[in-house]
Amino acid sequence: MKYFVTLAGREIPVEVDGGSVTVDGREVEAHLTAVPGTPLRHLLLDGASLTLATEAGEPGEWRLLVHGSRHEIQVVDERTRHIRSLTGGGAARAGLSPLRAPMPGLVVRVLVAPGQAVEPGQGLIVLEAMKMENELRATTAGVVAEIRSAAGQAVEKGQVLVEFAPGAGA
Amino acid sequence: MSQTPRVLVANRGEIALRIIRACHEEGLEAVAVYSDADRLSPHVRAADVALPIGPPPPGESYLRVDRLLEAARAGGATLVHPGYGFLAERAHFAAAVVGAGLTWVGPPASAITAMGDKTEARRRMQAAGVPIVPGLTLPITEPAAAIGAAEEIGYPVLVKAAAGGGGKGMRVVHRAADLLPALETAASEAQKAFGDASVYLERYVERPRHVEIQVLADHERTVHLGERECSVQRRHQKLVEEAPSAAVAPALRERMGAAAVAAAAAVGYRGAGTCEFLLAADGSFYFLEMNTRIQVEHPVTELVYGVDLVREQLRIAQGQPMRLPRGPLTPRGWALECRITSEDPANGFLPSTGRIEYLRLPAGPGVRWDGGFEAGNEVTLFYDSLLGKVVVWAPDRAEAINRMRRALQELVVTGVATNQAFHLRLLDDPDFQRAAIDSQFLDRRPDLLEGRPPAARIEALAVAAALAEEEARLRRRPRVAEEGGRDTAWRDAGRREGLR
Repeated sequence: MKYFVTLAGREIPVEVDGGSVTVDGREVEAHLTAVPGTPLRHLLLDGASLTLATEAGEPGEWRLLVHGSRHEIQVVDERTRHIRSLTGGGAARAGLSPLRAPMPGLVVRVLVAPGQAVEPGQGLIVLEAMKMENELRATTAGVVAEIRSAAGQAVEKGQVLVEFAPGAGA
Repeated sequence: MSQTPRVLVANRGEIALRIIRACHEEGLEAVAVYSDADRLSPHVRAADVALPIGPPPPGESYLRVDRLLEAARAGGATLVHPGYGFLAERAHFAAAVVGAGLTWVGPPASAITAMGDKTEARRRMQAAGVPIVPGLTLPITEPAAAIGAAEEIGYPVLVKAAAGGGGKGMRVVHRAADLLPALETAASEAQKAFGDASVYLERYVERPRHVEIQVLADHERTVHLGERECSVQRRHQKLVEEAPSAAVAPALRERMGAAAVAAAAAVGYRGAGTCEFLLAADGSFYFLEMNTRIQVEHPVTELVYGVDLVREQLRIAQGQPMRLPRGPLTPRGWALECRITSEDPANGFLPSTGRIEYLRLPAGPGVRWDGGFEAGNEVTLFYDSLLGKVVVWAPDRAEAINRMRRALQELVVTGVATNQAFHLRLLDDPDFQRAAIDSQFLDRRPDLLEGRPPAARIEALAVAAALAEEEARLRRRPRVAEEGGRDTAWRDAGRREGLR
């Protein structure tokens, strides 16, 4: 099966055919073995040894943990990728992900208003948790579509706080 | 037959387990207490006796003096060790313990009181000849008066909670226009964190190193055990500590040590305590505060001085002399500690909660893990985010950094995000490696807080993800369907896309 793997802003073709693996057109020796009783898998890539912890999300979504770094990785096969290119599916159609509360807490201040354009890194909401005020920031550029929280409101982990529409630059 | 004395450990997490270990090595028994959230925590299982003290919120369990005293009585404890945090620096708790006829493992309540109010402590230190940072000796009561006071002290000024610690209720202000909002925020944080809104003002020393001196006092003598440097901080929260400090030569160590011993003597100190100082680039140093308890980062001192501070605390509390040799003490080698917290560097260091699914601890030569969690334990928002501490010893600083890197590469935590990757980036940083650090180091280096995968690893990650996906698909799709595999793949893909 030929896969297209997206991570760190790059798309890397990886073809897996039984025991044979080709990366970017180059054939490599690769074995991934699950360590029983653990979430660990051990990769031997041309003899180079690497232990990873794996967490599977939705089909095709993988989170790999190496030395404490968590990597979000998308894997699609060639056919799915082709269908998406025909239907315009995928990330572009999914829109911008909303700001969710990363933990339960109390909304202290709302720093933006509907219609406002925001830049990556711009503060959106101040959430108090663990006795500290934490500023939640925008990860991408966009326009605030709706504020779904208010100052003084207690929110649960994962609760949507701000919804976005794609901005001019997005 | 006399019963083995028992120590009530009035704490949780890694420090509770640390104290229980010391009790057992000292030939004492340990009584653990636990909130409903901690029923299965390692400290509960390590203790000889364990008693419930209430629901998860600290105010209904670990901060309840009445329940702790009742647990001591029910558990047959005659000593109480408070650990750090919670009630460790509350004089009224120390007094209540003594009032109940029990032995307090810590300094006299009067010493806690004297050092606990930071403003009062500054006055006393000034009188004892210990250098202090220019600032107010009284807390701010009238915001309007603060403007004039700040002018007199000189900007930048630091707004700091009188009852504070751990960075809560602290703000740096560079100009008069920002002073009033900062006072308001600091006071409100202080009120929530400590139940006391008083704040005071002092000169903010730019780019100081955070260097602290460990002291130990028994009935006969007060000694210092050199310094720890804790300059690597984020929002005033220590992340990495080391002993000794690259900025402290033997002569400075003796001067700072003498100041710390004088500070302890001025309040009639007993047991283990720490004087925190700001160390300026020119070698001048200023007393910040004294922590009248064991500290999170105590292991680095233990490793370079060959001492067990918690066991010494227990001995001193029982009226025995400390086991340190007389005469000058010198540190041997280098120790480094990385605090592993359940905070996600990829998400602005916000706390991460959940169940620890898997935990593999570092081991091998010169490595120590002081932790309070095991796989299966829940990390909640009720308590501190510290999961544990990786501590290493090596002959020198460069070797200690290499050993810490090796140890951190062995550590695996899944289920909650941790700051492990931040520590690995820090260890590879040239400025950290040459000890060009101060307490504002991380403010200048946000790049260390957020990481990208190293280019060399991207290919390996891509191959691993593709192989994992292939394996998952083979598992999902039974063999009988293989003939229709092509159709199925199309159908699956179509279904997935249609559902988006």
